[in-house]
Amino acid sequence: MPDRNQHWSDLLRRANRGDGAAYAAFLAEVAPVVRTICRQRSGGAEDVEDIVQEVLLAVHAKRHTWREADPVTPWLYAIARYKTADAGRRRRGQGGQVPIETVAEVLPEETGDTTAARDLAQLLGRIDTHSAGIVRSVGIEGQSAGEVGARLGMTEGAVRVAYHRALVKLKDLAGAEADRAD
Amino acid sequence: MKTDDLITLLASDPAPAPAAPLGLRAGIGLLAGLAVTLVLFFWLLGPRYALFSAESDPVVAAKTVLPLVLGLLAVVLTLRSVRPGASLGRTRRAIWLVPAAGAALFFWAFVTTPEQARLRDFLGHSIPVCLPFIVVLSVPLYAGFLAALRSGAATRPALSGALAGLAAAGIATTVYSTFCNEDSPLFYATWYSAGILIATGLGALVGARLLRW
Repeated sequence: MPDRNQHWSDLLRRANRGDGAAYAAFLAEVAPVVRTICRQRSGGAEDVEDIVQEVLLAVHAKRHTWREADPVTPWLYAIARYKTADAGRRRRGQGGQVPIETVAEVLPEETGDTTAARDLAQLLGRIDTHSAGIVRSVGIEGQSAGEVGARLGMTEGAVRVAYHRALVKLKDLAGAEADRAD
Repeated sequence: MKTDDLITLLASDPAPAPAAPLGLRAGIGLLAGLAVTLVLFFWLLGPRYALFSAESDPVVAAKTVLPLVLGLLAVVLTLRSVRPGASLGRTRRAIWLVPAAGAALFFWAFVTTPEQARLRDFLGHSIPVCLPFIVVLSVPLYAGFLAALRSGAATRPALSGALAGLAAAGIATTVYSTFCNEDSPLFYATWYSAGILIATGLGALVGARLLRW
């Protein structure tokens, strides 16, 4: 569908110039196609939605590597394939998987439990201090992304993205940990 | 987090505006690397005696020009390889002209060199200098280039790493060739190639780790 390519190029071009609505439309239209690629490439993994989100984050982080003269779809599909393969490699290397929701729910609720708190502190010690600080503020102390952003001089969106990324990292670390315990 | 929520929050953070385009960053990285390489070169090696009169012989000039062409083409290929989905284009094939020219020079020298001198020219007297120095002089260039490439998005990190290693080695060999006084293609077409291949292999290994994102 050459139309689709042109349409997406148009949306992403506008997005890269700061048009948030065009960007939202681009991501929303692209997501189902990405989901199909992730599902096919991962052999129907249970955590397809996590991979889709990683692809969208990757698209977001690397959107400056698309050149306006190039078609969007080869760029987008290459990122989707790469991130799906990457997730597959990590899953195989790790054996078990811990869904992100598990970690996300553990973070604010189980801080009363000293073991979990110690484990969490230990995990947080293993990601960079900037990300760890954001997880502490948002996840443990319950501050809003806006508050944290104002303190760190970041936009609210950037804080949320950093928080989400840090959770993905913590999930990986927790998975590796659980693996070693087995 | 639901995917729709993620989309909403990503869209609330538009306007990427990369600090500098990839090509510019790569240029700065390579130039910084080249500066370090040149310091190492003048400190440890230095240009050969009567460099310019030696290089006026086209067969001698080829050992400086061919690696330079190789390195520059490899820079182009590397930059393309860190854009997801981008084709490597015709340069991908054109770059093979360089090893082809090296092989042609090798066979020309083989034919024109008297039989009893062939082995002497082939082995030369500086293999233990040539191989390590091509690799060592490549390192700063590679490091500067790689630092820039990390802001790209390599979907084949080992390939991009290898190409970056090839680019760095091509430029490093150009520099090295102004020190080296082994002027027979029997020597330089063989041992320069070997040094470049080692650097390319190391580049692939390092790139496979550092260019993942």
